[in-house]
Amino acid sequence: MGRFAWRNLLTRPLRTTLALVGLSIPILGVIGLFSLSGGLRNLVGDTLNKIQGVMVMRDNLPSPVFSDLPTNYGERLKAVPGVKVVAPEVWKIAPSVNGTRSFTRTASDLITGGGAKAMKSLLDMPLIQGQDIPTHTNLRSGVYPSSLKEKGEGRYLEPSDAGTNRVVISRKLSKDFLKPDGTPSGVGDKLRIGDKDVKEFEIVGIYDTGSMFLDVVIVMDIGTARKLLGVSEDQVSTFYVEMTDPTANDKVSLAIEKAMPDVDARSMNEFMANFGVIMSKVDIFLLMTVSLALLVGIVGIINTMLMSTTERFVEFGVLRTNGWSQGNVLALVTAESAFLGLMAGAISCVMAYAGVTIINQFIGDGLRLTLPFWLFGLGIGISLVTGTLGGLYPAWRASKLVPMDAIRLGSH
Amino acid sequence: MIDVADVKKSFRSGERTVEALRGVTCHIPKGRFAFIVGPSGSGKSTLLYLLGALDRPTSGRIVVSGTDLTAMSEAEQNHYRRDRIGFIFQAFNLISNLTAVENVLVPYLPRGLTPELERRAVELLTQVGLGGRVDHRPYQLSGGEQQRVAIARALIKDPEVVLADEPTGELDSKAGDEVYRILRRLQAERQTTLVVVTHDRRFINPDDLVLEIQDGLLKTDESEHQRNLIGAEV
Repeated sequence: MGRFAWRNLLTRPLRTTLALVGLSIPILGVIGLFSLSGGLRNLVGDTLNKIQGVMVMRDNLPSPVFSDLPTNYGERLKAVPGVKVVAPEVWKIAPSVNGTRSFTRTASDLITGGGAKAMKSLLDMPLIQGQDIPTHTNLRSGVYPSSLKEKGEGRYLEPSDAGTNRVVISRKLSKDFLKPDGTPSGVGDKLRIGDKDVKEFEIVGIYDTGSMFLDVVIVMDIGTARKLLGVSEDQVSTFYVEMTDPTANDKVSLAIEKAMPDVDARSMNEFMANFGVIMSKVDIFLLMTVSLALLVGIVGIINTMLMSTTERFVEFGVLRTNGWSQGNVLALVTAESAFLGLMAGAISCVMAYAGVTIINQFIGDGLRLTLPFWLFGLGIGISLVTGTLGGLYPAWRASKLVPMDAIRLGSH
Repeated sequence: MIDVADVKKSFRSGERTVEALRGVTCHIPKGRFAFIVGPSGSGKSTLLYLLGALDRPTSGRIVVSGTDLTAMSEAEQNHYRRDRIGFIFQAFNLISNLTAVENVLVPYLPRGLTPELERRAVELLTQVGLGGRVDHRPYQLSGGEQQRVAIARALIKDPEVVLADEPTGELDSKAGDEVYRILRRLQAERQTTLVVVTHDRRFINPDDLVLEIQDGLLKTDESEHQRNLIGAEV
């Protein structure tokens, strides 16, 4: 009977193709969205794995850019048992770089390119990070120095750079801020940073973490950053803290928050957990959106199968005349719609594989769409269930026909 | 063999009720070639379909080889149609995407096919002169050939009764003759009871049982009635 059901689909190629297209698109959407979601999780996971310390910042703020803490909190942090290194940092959104102001660029992108372009522009917005170079040199896990050593060029900041206009930038920023001849900025080139009081900064090193979240930072000495950004000596944005025992980050973070209630000591585990919660909510939202598309797919299958069964009243009458039970007819029509679902699932998986392979060639910034095997299974599973559910009503309707009525209705 | 007792059948057609059969009583002996004749709309096909348990009478009884069709459950009706009755339709009603041999095997598709069944199907097609066309689809066959496939499909289960509704209605006279020649030969070989609805009295032989229906009632002439009684005694 399976072969019979299969042939019934093949004898109506146009209708079958249209039904497949209708169901494949939402299934492709499901796979694509989960793939993107998985890629983002991996990206954030990879990024956070590179950071082994704890970031101490003002409580209830989304980003270190908005945080401000008294400089003397550094001494209180050092007094917390388990803390080994406390490295003060100043974070701010960069003022104009080479004459381009970040906010202006984002607003312009929003107007000219819509939300997606503006979102990219927002993620690409360069940040200034001022580091206390001597203490940062003592850190076990310096993301920027290690990535510069692995894949970068030039050198990282040294204690002798304190108070100078020397910076380390990412390879991405070197391409974003080109030289007058249109080539990427390199070691020894200069960046002009500032809104009113524009200063020249010499690039001494180029790092490349491969993460879109990290590769937007211009790193300089904390004193230089204070002057550039107008941050007073008794204020920092955050403290980057490393523990004596790196496995005790969560425990020491709690101790820090207990000792200093107005700060938030965020371990990377906490960042990851928070991100996971956000992504779960995003996933639910995406699934709700895709559910609507799936609903349209089911309606498409119902329509296809209803038309198909209405045209085949005589056939069902003949089958019933030859001893087919209502259950046999129900099984035949359901098998046809299940095959449709299965084919749509398989097509979606092939398209998703091809699409992800192509897209991954073009997207960068450390983001890679992922296609784990379970996602293929999920796609085919949803498609199969959708196809089968969509075929149930037409199948039930076909099976309930009285054989004599079916033959008479179909003959007229 | 077949006993029909005061069978009535009415349908709803919009606001009105159509009485297709208004109390038909008849007997068809085993192994007879019986014709149901009458004008269009007289109830011939309705009676035929009731004999095949394709529908239930509004009242009355139909007993085939001791089995009361009116008391059958849905599942019993399915088994009856699958194992004991063969149908032949005017419009052939073959399944377009199945080959000739697969069409013959249609009653067995839900239960699965065996090599023995497939051999029997090919043998039957050979008997009706289609041994070389077993893998042809219906659109590759002429009307007469399609009807012969339908005959093979009706006979694959070796039924007690074959019911045919205007089997030559869509055929030219030559193809029609061929169909009746095959039906008579197979009936003679297998002693199957054949009940045929027709408008065309050319194919009726003197020995055949003729049941004439008009306005939902049986109208049988005296000689045929006598033959019916003789048949009943046999």
